[in-house]
Amino acid sequence: MNNGAQDKRCEIWAIGGGKGGTGKSFVTSSIGTHLASKGNKVVLIDADLGGANLHTLLGVSKPRNSLTDFFEKKASLNDIIVNCAIPDIGLVSGTLSSLDSENIKYAQKLKLFRQIKAIDTDYILIDLGAGSHNNTIDTFLLADKMIVVTLPEITALENMYHFIKNVFFRKLKIILGAHGLKDVIQDIWKNRDAHGIKHLKDVVEHLMGTSAHIRDIIENELASFRIYIVLNQVRSGREIMIGASVKSVCLKFLGFDTRYAGHIEYDETVLRCINKRLPFMLTHPFSHVAKEISKLTENLRDGRQITVTADKYANRRL
Amino acid sequence: MPIEDYKKYFEALELSPDSQLSEVRNSYLHLKSLYSNDSIVTAAIAYELSEEKRHDILEQVEEAYTKLIDFFENKGSDPEDKEKPSFVLDEELRQYLSGITSFRGGLLKEIREKLGIDLKDMAVFTKIRKQYFEDIEHEKFSSLPSEVYLRGYVMEYAKYLSLDPVKVADDYLNRYRGWKTGKGEKS
Repeated sequence: MNNGAQDKRCEIWAIGGGKGGTGKSFVTSSIGTHLASKGNKVVLIDADLGGANLHTLLGVSKPRNSLTDFFEKKASLNDIIVNCAIPDIGLVSGTLSSLDSENIKYAQKLKLFRQIKAIDTDYILIDLGAGSHNNTIDTFLLADKMIVVTLPEITALENMYHFIKNVFFRKLKIILGAHGLKDVIQDIWKNRDAHGIKHLKDVVEHLMGTSAHIRDIIENELASFRIYIVLNQVRSGREIMIGASVKSVCLKFLGFDTRYAGHIEYDETVLRCINKRLPFMLTHPFSHVAKEISKLTENLRDGRQITVTADKYANRRL
Repeated sequence: MPIEDYKKYFEALELSPDSQLSEVRNSYLHLKSLYSNDSIVTAAIAYELSEEKRHDILEQVEEAYTKLIDFFENKGSDPEDKEKPSFVLDEELRQYLSGITSFRGGLLKEIREKLGIDLKDMAVFTKIRKQYFEDIEHEKFSSLPSEVYLRGYVMEYAKYLSLDPVKVADDYLNRYRGWKTGKGEKS
């Protein structure tokens, strides 16, 4: 028996971002492909139950099994992992035949989370759907690395702020709830005018001031709360700076630290590959996009971020 | 200045306290342009971003920058040495620089040294060989590359110092061309 392998816990990465069409599934499948190419076993889970299409990006036209089997036929998660066109990558498809994805019961959700954590692999990547539904947010919070994919577009940024705000607020509620302080945050938010609270950041500051006990809880629990930003479909050096700007806005207005993991340039070839159901990372390994994805995957793995400066990027042509 | 203040200033510029002068400058320029102009990044969260809050941030950023530049200026220098000219890139200085029309190599060097910028840092950052920057400063035209490249190098140099790259390059290249024609006539 090799106990060493059992001791090594797998890492869960969740990819969300609020808005649909930002390239979450493409990013998930590409990150997975890069990790697999470095000798890791990877399982991708398509948690976009309303609009699953991760299988298409992995060259599987009709997955043999999917989460339907888990929810309706009580199959175990391990048994519904299907192979795909890329070696060392397993897929849990999210294609559902009938189920209404918003009506997943609480107990089912917990069971799913338990079984996700128990999968024997090196990396689990969860591709989330659009929107800020509680099920989506809870799945996001399950991860060791929380990643948002966004675009240099105002609508994508709007939805992303909304999403990460909800994630943060939910996290606060959960950690306070775990210490029997569930109602504290709700009360503060309800009476926010009386407390002079305008921003999410003020809520945290107010909470920290209420008691030393609460301050300790928040400081300990939130020290590891970190969202990684991936900026997709970048068309100019100026747009690369948007990642750094988002980081600043999150820190100053939402009150938490984010890390700019990397950016991916806009390339029409990506869409052509997706339409032909070709794995881009394998068919175009020397493209700029593939190199950027490899780099950002390594940044995510090591918890690093990139620093971009205006004088270097603002006038750079891609 | 108490240590808490430094921490506060670095925090306002979103930097760790062990950051270099060049990082302070870069962060300052980025934050200043982010919060004084409209961009999709701030517009997407406009409901959170009042004019008042924007003003506060800009004020903090400005104060932090001025204080930190002072800090870097005095770091390691003899406190008795009052002769050392202080060089803060404030409005006044900008105005003064905008009045200058002739950017000779020697002047560029002087500005760079006053800003405490190391040629080595600049070379790493711009990916241009340090030797070229030295030759630019000494106006050693014969060792410099052809005009197209030189223009790019001078512009990078100027950008790093927050000078107007076009203005500096135009003036510098003028002298370079003068030297070249003179050389042509002689031979």
